[in-house]
Amino acid sequence: MISILLSIPILSLVTIIQSAVVSRMPLVQGTADLVMVVIIAWALQRRVKYPWQWALMGGILMDFFSSLPFGVYTLSYLVLSVLAQLMSQRLWKFSFLIQLFLTLLGTMLVHIISTLVLFLQGTSLEILRVLQSITLPSLLLNLMLTLPVYIIMVDFAHQLYPEEVEL
Amino acid sequence: MNQQFPNSIRIFVFSLLALGIFLLALGGYIPTLTRAVLIPLTSSQTWISQQFQGLEDFISAPRDVAAIRRENQNLEAENARLEAQIIELQQQLLEFEILSALLDFARAQPEHTYLGATVIGRDPSPFLDYLIINRGSDDGLQRGMPVVSQNGLVGRIAQVSAKSARVQLITDPSVKINVQVQPSQSESVLTGTITGDIRLEQIPQNTNVTPGNLVLTSGLGGNYPPNIIVGQITSVRNPEAALFQSASLQPVTDFADLDIVLVITNFNPVDIQPLIPTPEAP
Repeated sequence: MISILLSIPILSLVTIIQSAVVSRMPLVQGTADLVMVVIIAWALQRRVKYPWQWALMGGILMDFFSSLPFGVYTLSYLVLSVLAQLMSQRLWKFSFLIQLFLTLLGTMLVHIISTLVLFLQGTSLEILRVLQSITLPSLLLNLMLTLPVYIIMVDFAHQLYPEEVEL
Repeated sequence: MNQQFPNSIRIFVFSLLALGIFLLALGGYIPTLTRAVLIPLTSSQTWISQQFQGLEDFISAPRDVAAIRRENQNLEAENARLEAQIIELQQQLLEFEILSALLDFARAQPEHTYLGATVIGRDPSPFLDYLIINRGSDDGLQRGMPVVSQNGLVGRIAQVSAKSARVQLITDPSVKINVQVQPSQSESVLTGTITGDIRLEQIPQNTNVTPGNLVLTSGLGGNYPPNIIVGQITSVRNPEAALFQSASLQPVTDFADLDIVLVITNFNPVDIQPLIPTPEAP
């Protein structure tokens, strides 16, 4: 319960930072997706039982801030959180590697869904230019954010769910 | 001694000594003699003085270090305060320059009324070019109002909430604006692209369009007021078999460095939706 309560102020703050700061620092045309990296890092924490709650909250907030049709971010983040939980249960020793893999996968997923939606809305797309100017720079920025965000979320998870000591 | 030498002898001896000294002085021997006596004395005095100075420095040093440290702290605090003041003044100067340029723009086009707004964010999706500004319906903003900067056209308001609004930039891929190329006055359509470039499409073949030509809004369609500068043509493409020419455009507004914008509040976009025939209509 405390996890979902905390997700509201934390993800609101992260989304505001995303819109006010991160999105204003593009690399070529690509920008980092801080909210996605936070949600993946949170979902990979072993003691987090319901990571989809954070994914849902982060997705709704991003959909509010974005002009993309509502649901693009929510759907992408929910898929990512489920994947993150499934993978962390099986490969929990390699959680940072999973974080890197899911950041790559998540960037591709969000961009594929976004371009698909824009294509259906009638926007002309040049896939190669999109890949060069938006997706690859965004991926690089997301991967750069991965380590600091992962460390912060590990620390936060330890604070929120302390280790149980056997007596 | 008084018993051995009578006073007369003593007076004689002293007189003889005085005379001797007087004669030595006359002969120029006194300075040499005094130098021979004073050199070791001066050396001794110098050494003693140095030792005393060292001792004095040693004793008074802690007090001076503390005073220097205190003074250093005060100077550092003063320095930090002045640096902060400089940054604040630089920020104010920058803001003043932007506001001054915006005011010049507003004065140059007095037919419009403007409302200044600060850019507070951007769309989180890299596929869309939208800004978020700190003015909304509470300030009288409505959907469709054009947004300009001191340089030219920025976009128009796409969505309004009570305290903020979303501005669709002219670089957004779904944008289509009717524009006019100067000096040929040929009509064209400006389109944004997903990569943030702007293009001019549907330029008639029989018009002379060259790099460097200015592009202004034409006002056709009723979505934007006419004669707002948009950009400058950088290159023209004119394939042989094509019906129209096309061109690339360099916008006059630097969208990456946009902090303050003006919303034209007395422009109401024309809603042409009722004029578009529907299949059911007779």
